[in-house]
Amino acid sequence: MDLTDDRITSAPFYHQTGNERAIFEAAAASRLPIMLKGPTGCGKTRFVEHMAWHLKRPLITVACHEDMTAADLAGRYLLTADGTVWNDGPLTAAVRFGAICYLDEVVEARQDTTVVIHPLTDNRRILPLDRRGELVAAHPDFLLIVSYNPGYQSAVKDLKESTKQRFVAIDFTYPEPDAETAIVAAETGIDVPVASQLVGVANRTRNLRGRGLSEGASTRMIVHAAKLMSAGVKLIDALRASIVLPLTDDADVREALEAVILASAP
Amino acid sequence: MTSNDVDEIRRLSTQREVLRAPFAQIWLRLETIDTDLVQQWASASLALFHVNAGPACIIAFWQVAGSLGPGHMRLISKAGMQAANICRLAGAKAALACLETLPICLRLTSVQPASVQAWWHGLDRLAEAAPSLLADTVRRIEILLADGDGFAFADFVAAGLKATATNKARRAAFFALEDSLAQMLLTRRAGGGQGFAECETMLGAFIAGLCGRAPKLKAGPANMTRRSMIASGTVVMPPVYAGVAREQVRRLYRAAAAHAYAHLTLPTVLHPVGPLKPMQIALIGLIEDARVETLAMRDAPGLRHLWSGFHTARPGGATTAAGLMARLSRALLDPDYADPDGFVEKGRALFAEASARLTDPLLSRAIGGLLGNDLGQMRLQFNAKTYMVEPPYRDDNMHLWELPETPDDQLSLTVDTARGVNADNSTTPTPGDGTRAPRARETGQDDRGELLATYPEWDSSAGVERPAWTSLRDHAPRMRDPGAAEPGEATLRAQIARLVRARVVGRTERQPPQQDGEELDLDAVIKASVARRGGLPLDGRLYRDRRPRARDLATLIIVDVSQSTAAVDASGQSVLAAERAAVGALASALEASGDCYALRAFASAGRDDVRLTRLKDFAEPFTDKVLARLAGLSPGLSTRLGAALRHAGAELAPQRTTRKMLFVLTDGEPSDIDVTHPQELVEDARRACRSLRQCGIDVFGIVMDPAGVGSASTIFGRHNTIHVRKLQDLPAKLANVYFRLAQR
Repeated sequence: MDLTDDRITSAPFYHQTGNERAIFEAAAASRLPIMLKGPTGCGKTRFVEHMAWHLKRPLITVACHEDMTAADLAGRYLLTADGTVWNDGPLTAAVRFGAICYLDEVVEARQDTTVVIHPLTDNRRILPLDRRGELVAAHPDFLLIVSYNPGYQSAVKDLKESTKQRFVAIDFTYPEPDAETAIVAAETGIDVPVASQLVGVANRTRNLRGRGLSEGASTRMIVHAAKLMSAGVKLIDALRASIVLPLTDDADVREALEAVILASAP
Repeated sequence: MTSNDVDEIRRLSTQREVLRAPFAQIWLRLETIDTDLVQQWASASLALFHVNAGPACIIAFWQVAGSLGPGHMRLISKAGMQAANICRLAGAKAALACLETLPICLRLTSVQPASVQAWWHGLDRLAEAAPSLLADTVRRIEILLADGDGFAFADFVAAGLKATATNKARRAAFFALEDSLAQMLLTRRAGGGQGFAECETMLGAFIAGLCGRAPKLKAGPANMTRRSMIASGTVVMPPVYAGVAREQVRRLYRAAAAHAYAHLTLPTVLHPVGPLKPMQIALIGLIEDARVETLAMRDAPGLRHLWSGFHTARPGGATTAAGLMARLSRALLDPDYADPDGFVEKGRALFAEASARLTDPLLSRAIGGLLGNDLGQMRLQFNAKTYMVEPPYRDDNMHLWELPETPDDQLSLTVDTARGVNADNSTTPTPGDGTRAPRARETGQDDRGELLATYPEWDSSAGVERPAWTSLRDHAPRMRDPGAAEPGEATLRAQIARLVRARVVGRTERQPPQQDGEELDLDAVIKASVARRGGLPLDGRLYRDRRPRARDLATLIIVDVSQSTAAVDASGQSVLAAERAAVGALASALEASGDCYALRAFASAGRDDVRLTRLKDFAEPFTDKVLARLAGLSPGLSTRLGAALRHAGAELAPQRTTRKMLFVLTDGEPSDIDVTHPQELVEDARRACRSLRQCGIDVFGIVMDPAGVGSASTIFGRHNTIHVRKLQDLPAKLANVYFRLAQR
């Protein structure tokens, strides 16, 4: 198994907003696990793709969910005509063959599931497969990355302290307006003034965080709006379709958001 | 209802000279219709006879019946019965008024039976509480029922009776539609029910989004129907905008809020009034408005569109100072507006010239002063008495001025006019004028319970939080035999049980492998086969099971048991009894669903004695003991809601669940014996609610305030307030709301 399919061949666009690249590289060199924190749609996943390409390592992404078991990560025996066959899970594959394993939204997984990563995240760097009676030593290129959004997680859905403290953390926020404008323009090819307008509106929706919205419009949402616009949709309609309607079902907040958009538009 | 009624009515009518001809007339029409309907008509007529309604009433009833035809006979007969009841309560004159206006009622309501019924219900309440006012009130039907909504009328009556409970003169003024509250309610209805309260959430989100600041918006008194004002960083907006079309109201509120925040986001400079004349004051305000709007539009260009919709001034007509000023306002905002007037042109030119220096707050004084001189020399009349800032979205601009301690007459006139204070209207509900007497009674100090905690209280008039201001004390519950189940309780329980079943069955959750179950767990089977082949010990847990997901939720229900809950409705049920039934029924349902919940009751006798009765704790099962404690609740004392809310928050906070919900069952306004301005307790409760929400606790108010005019929406927020119109609806409504919310 060489994980060729998991390699990223062309450079994903990423705009650095702080020193995240330097920290990532340093942590990767020291084989430290990394935790990416930040609101949804601010570029965490894109950053991981970019760094995987930069470090020339395969990337295995697992979207965590609450029904995920440890076996979904580590692997399980499958029944075949000849009997039972062991099948490596995504985490085991990454450990064995030296890939970046990215656990997206790790708090969504049950806490007992996440414990499986503990032996990988200290100086042992091993993965015990108790069902198979095997200890897999991590490949030197193996790197564990988890992401989560501290904003909307409740106290119950939080990482265990013992899990948290194993990671080097990088905090992500939405980029500054100028940087975000550059990102939207580069990502979608729309004109910078239009991108700047979209970013302005998105920033206003972020003011509503905690006042009717649990999150404001993400960079991803602005990119969606910009894509609609480059396909010929008008500014107001693009913003309504890509930001207002997905963000809220509350009639009052929706009316307010639409009014904010109209007020911000020329 | 028997055929005897028909004979009886014929006998009675022929005995009285005055009724003979009218009876003969109506009988001609009745002969052709269904006997069943005739009997209903006869029963209603007889009822009017029995209450001595007098011939005028009876003839009026017959005339209505005759004029409307058989299609409406059922409704008319019902109305006759209602009129007989009103005659009993408020006399024949009132009943006659009701019957004479019945055709108008039917026309306005388009003969919607439910709406007509609600209209009668409102009249009944009025007849009970204020019989002497009924006849005159009914004559105002064209105004009171203008929108054809009988329910709105019933709510109007309820609101009026409640607001004027202790003041007869004010009650008369209310139903004569001269009171400011009555006018406000009618205006709100005319505006499609859109007032500040309906727009508040939207406005808050709009301002937060637009300016990135926590919005401070509140409604002014009921007689403030003209212009917003800004006072120490808070925008006070009219509770309703009179004479504004329904579809424009929300837009107008937005325009007004955006304008006020255009002022508030800029540094303020107080201008001394000095020797300035009212016209100059008005012009300086106008230029300042244009200045802040222009600056705001640099940031949010779309505001021009929002505001310019309200600028309707145009050249033409008589040249007045106010007219020219409105045109200048428009010229400064709207670049496409053309105005040939020299004064307007000059204002525009001066303002355009200064466009690079707009951030200078002294600019408006300079330009406004110049223009004021010009306008003065034009010898145009300026009436400071009637001048209002135009258009209506702009505020009164009084916050721009440094007012002397004792303003001279001219200035105070300007201030009053600008503020839109209607000097003739002295019926404004000023807190503490006796119209809202505290509901509590004093009690001795000896029965004060154990001190549980002290909480701060928000003093809205001073704008400060008073630390450790209220003391919360534990009061041991009294136990009483719950007694026999109330009638209808079995149906209620069945209804709630259905709800529980519908809600509890929802998402399921995968359990770890079990000893037994419906399906084999593939992973477990493989593991077991591997173990068996390898000669390892077997784990017998091979089955998988999916169970309903346990809802991760803790609920605290607090019940208001203040003196006002002793009030009874028409069926003789008290508010407290309804609360008791509702909580009892919900608790037994919750017990079945396995949710974690606690019950508390509260009342207060001053800030030192806010009493909390623990009916059931989170861990405690729902037993007869809890029922006995519920039964032992008795009404008394007042409602210091803020303290109760803070304590509820403190009890919920340590619960380790994802969701925490707080339900407050109350019948209305917070009040206490040591508080003369109940509005302060409203503000305090609202603040307490907001801080609970910030801690992730969802607070819901279940409010027995049929008219929906109380402060509940202010306290809990419109979305989190559930108004209960009829007491008997409370249990089903509470359960329904709980299970709907618990699922989210």
